[in-house]
Amino acid sequence: MTRLVQRLVWSVFVLWCVITGSFVVNFGLPGDPVRAIAGPQARPADLQAIREQMGLDQSLRVQYVLFLKRLVHTGPAHDAAADKAHRSCKTLGPLHFDLGMSYQQRRPVLTLLLEKLPATLLLAVAALLVQVSLGVATGTLAALHRGTFFDYGVIITVLLLISMPTFLLGIGLQYLFAYYLHWLPLDGDGKTFFEKLRHVALPAMTLGFFGAAYYTRIVRDEVLSQLNQDHVRTARAKGASLLRTTLVHVLRNVSLPLVTLVGLELGGLVGGAIVTEQLFRWPGLGRLSIDAVMERDGPVLMGTVLVASVAVVLANLLVDLSYSLLDPRTRR
Amino acid sequence: MPSLSRRLANWSALCRGPQMLFWLALSLAGCHPTVSNPLGVESDHHPGPPLRGGMLRIATSSDIRSLDSAVAFDETAAVLEQLVYAKLLDFSTAGDTFVPELAERWEASFDGLRYDFFLREDARFHDGNPVLARDVKRSLERTIHPDTPCPVKSFYERLVGYSDYVKRKAPHLEGIEVTGTYSLRFRLTEPDATLLSVLALPIAAPVCPSAGTTYDPAFSTHACGAGPFRLRQWDQGREVHFERFDGYYRPELPYLDGVTVSLVVPPFTQRLKFERGELDHFRDVSDLDAWLFRRSPAWAGRGGWEQPRSVFGIFLNTESVPFRNRELRRAVASAINRDELAALKPGSIQPASRIIPPGIPGHDPTPGQRFDYAAALEHMRSAGFPYSPATHQGGYPHELTLLAPSDGFGAQAGELFQQQLARIGIRIRIRALRWSAFLAESARRGQATLGIEGWGADYPDASDFFEPLLSSQSIADEDTSNRAFFSNSEFDRLLLEARRETDHQKRRELYRRAEQIFLDEAPWAVTHYVKKWEVWQPYLHEYSVHALLPQHVAFTWLDLPAKSRALALRHALPFSLTRVAGYGKLPGGS
Repeated sequence: MTRLVQRLVWSVFVLWCVITGSFVVNFGLPGDPVRAIAGPQARPADLQAIREQMGLDQSLRVQYVLFLKRLVHTGPAHDAAADKAHRSCKTLGPLHFDLGMSYQQRRPVLTLLLEKLPATLLLAVAALLVQVSLGVATGTLAALHRGTFFDYGVIITVLLLISMPTFLLGIGLQYLFAYYLHWLPLDGDGKTFFEKLRHVALPAMTLGFFGAAYYTRIVRDEVLSQLNQDHVRTARAKGASLLRTTLVHVLRNVSLPLVTLVGLELGGLVGGAIVTEQLFRWPGLGRLSIDAVMERDGPVLMGTVLVASVAVVLANLLVDLSYSLLDPRTRR
Repeated sequence: MPSLSRRLANWSALCRGPQMLFWLALSLAGCHPTVSNPLGVESDHHPGPPLRGGMLRIATSSDIRSLDSAVAFDETAAVLEQLVYAKLLDFSTAGDTFVPELAERWEASFDGLRYDFFLREDARFHDGNPVLARDVKRSLERTIHPDTPCPVKSFYERLVGYSDYVKRKAPHLEGIEVTGTYSLRFRLTEPDATLLSVLALPIAAPVCPSAGTTYDPAFSTHACGAGPFRLRQWDQGREVHFERFDGYYRPELPYLDGVTVSLVVPPFTQRLKFERGELDHFRDVSDLDAWLFRRSPAWAGRGGWEQPRSVFGIFLNTESVPFRNRELRRAVASAINRDELAALKPGSIQPASRIIPPGIPGHDPTPGQRFDYAAALEHMRSAGFPYSPATHQGGYPHELTLLAPSDGFGAQAGELFQQQLARIGIRIRIRALRWSAFLAESARRGQATLGIEGWGADYPDASDFFEPLLSSQSIADEDTSNRAFFSNSEFDRLLLEARRETDHQKRRELYRRAEQIFLDEAPWAVTHYVKKWEVWQPYLHEYSVHALLPQHVAFTWLDLPAKSRALALRHALPFSLTRVAGYGKLPGGS
């Protein structure tokens, strides 16, 4: 329990560092957010008026203090949207969370993030499923058939997938499955659950095939090393079948590095798969964050950074906790 | 309508690369790039009157930030605003005159200080309320209100009382008087020939009474005007759906049941959707695709060039060393070979010699700045930096930094300019910056010696190019739009006189004289205009490329039976038979 509390306190500290670092970097980036808001053709007098209106004429220190004050504060425990002073807040009883208004879209950042998060999570989970299931299956089979044509075939495919840029793989899949075969939609995210499943297939495959290549490589090496271990040989000598030995004695030990990898990958995927989301018009956080960077939309950028860091921190926390379940030695 | 869309540039940069790679891969595999057959070719001979019904589907590669006419001022928003809002008056399809819209007629006083507008009495807003003169006043006051982040409210600064209103010294804009239920008067502090143009912009469109008197971001998702379509649903970042407004003042229009605009669709995906019949009109056509469609006989007559409305060039900072020296500026203007530039993107880049693009009234087709190597060397000599091409000796002794936007075509063009200027002894180093950084840095006094710049028309008038880009009134320490910091009292006087002049011919002559000063002084080396190719399916009727408004689809109609037959036939055929050749050498290839 003490360890968990320590980890949580450490996580909050990491998040504060990330937020502060991002704030400073965003402020120091070349470029003028007001220009980005108003467009290249805005007239100088109008730009100045917008700058004052949005508080962008204030110093870094003032803007940072305001940001932190607003981030978590207390306020009326009612529908915040009706209250002009709390229009960009999300409430949890008297607790208010506020990341401000998007410069570009002029909507509360938290609303934007909450709109995009489900799509991102769906894509992240679907892509992870493809990655892990494909990676574990092919990696294990390749290890079990070491030195055969199958093994060589897997190694070559893995190398190809790892070297291929994601967008090229995505365009190829889009052309084949959507345009030529008409099996799947070209892009978008659908409305009903089943439509969403159909729409997520291509982006998940794009991310999944790419990631599965890494998993295959790691699983193959790990399985090979496990197959030479004494406990595996003993199990086989005692008459356990290859399937049972692999599932119970080999893959359980392989799962430890695998879980670490999945945790890191999940954090990264929630942060946004930028190219894939752009290509398939998947309305997730990746697209939101790249737009925020391009358009100097500071509040949205801070929001996406916050979500991505929370995802990474949480995923690592879960990975740490899962170690003790998977390997009893780590409980000591 | 306005502007060089930064988002579009970003998208193009992201998506053109993959597409080129993809086609390259196909080519290496022995396949020629092709385009599909047009859908519903028999619709060319459709008998009888236009058909009503159907949802038109179009797409754009960028997103929209707002549908509130008071703040949405970019090209993508303009496509959507023309569906929702009706204005007092509109630009004609050719872009050279005005046509009445909500105003039946208007009259200007002899001194040009007063404009009376008379509204039609049958126009209604989408919420059922009639469009009254007080709504026109309320809407424009809402746009100009100090709390509204409208990027171009200063377009209306010549209205009486503008300054007091934006400084909150007056509750209303004195210069707009409601003279009757359906009539109103605009009063100006001095004559302004651009008033009608800026009233024809969506930012001046009357909005429903529910929009209130001040800006509220929530109105964006409930945009309400008096246009032919009303906003049904906006799925942020995905699609915007519009449905026919049955109370539109022209009862026979629109023909369509609705319009769906898909947002942020990469150009490559747009093309696939267009070929599959999921889009009826395709505007974000890449250079390669444009070439394929243009080359295909099956697509002849089903596409067209948009008139260039933007000008690009190199601004030369006239305040700082070395471009304080006029001869050096002239040398740069003469050293740029615009034809070489156009060869980089055949078709879509048009060599430019004057600052007013061909799509804008007042464009002079006669040559202005042009490539003349001998003259460039002579100007270098007159500037005090003679250069010998034979020995490569001489020239300007220091390396200069050229600012260029890293997105899109800027950096590529910069490399060519680097080579061309080296031939006259001017060495430049390219500093490519992201768009927002480029805008900030190039607009700050004393920062940029020279840089690549583009400017798009906000409205079709020469003043919209001369004044922001070259008038000394536009010079500021920060956020200047006159990046050349060009200041010439005679030039300023001519611009002011032209703005006050309401006689068309006299204005043209004043701008001609101003342009002559521009050519002599060369604060810019004008380089190119950019054109876009659009293509549409044969079953889409009464669409023509508007001189100013992109994707002006509001009054088109669809031959849906022809489309259905064509799609059924396509699904019955093997894939290879649905293709038509875009054969031949690749553009620019030898």
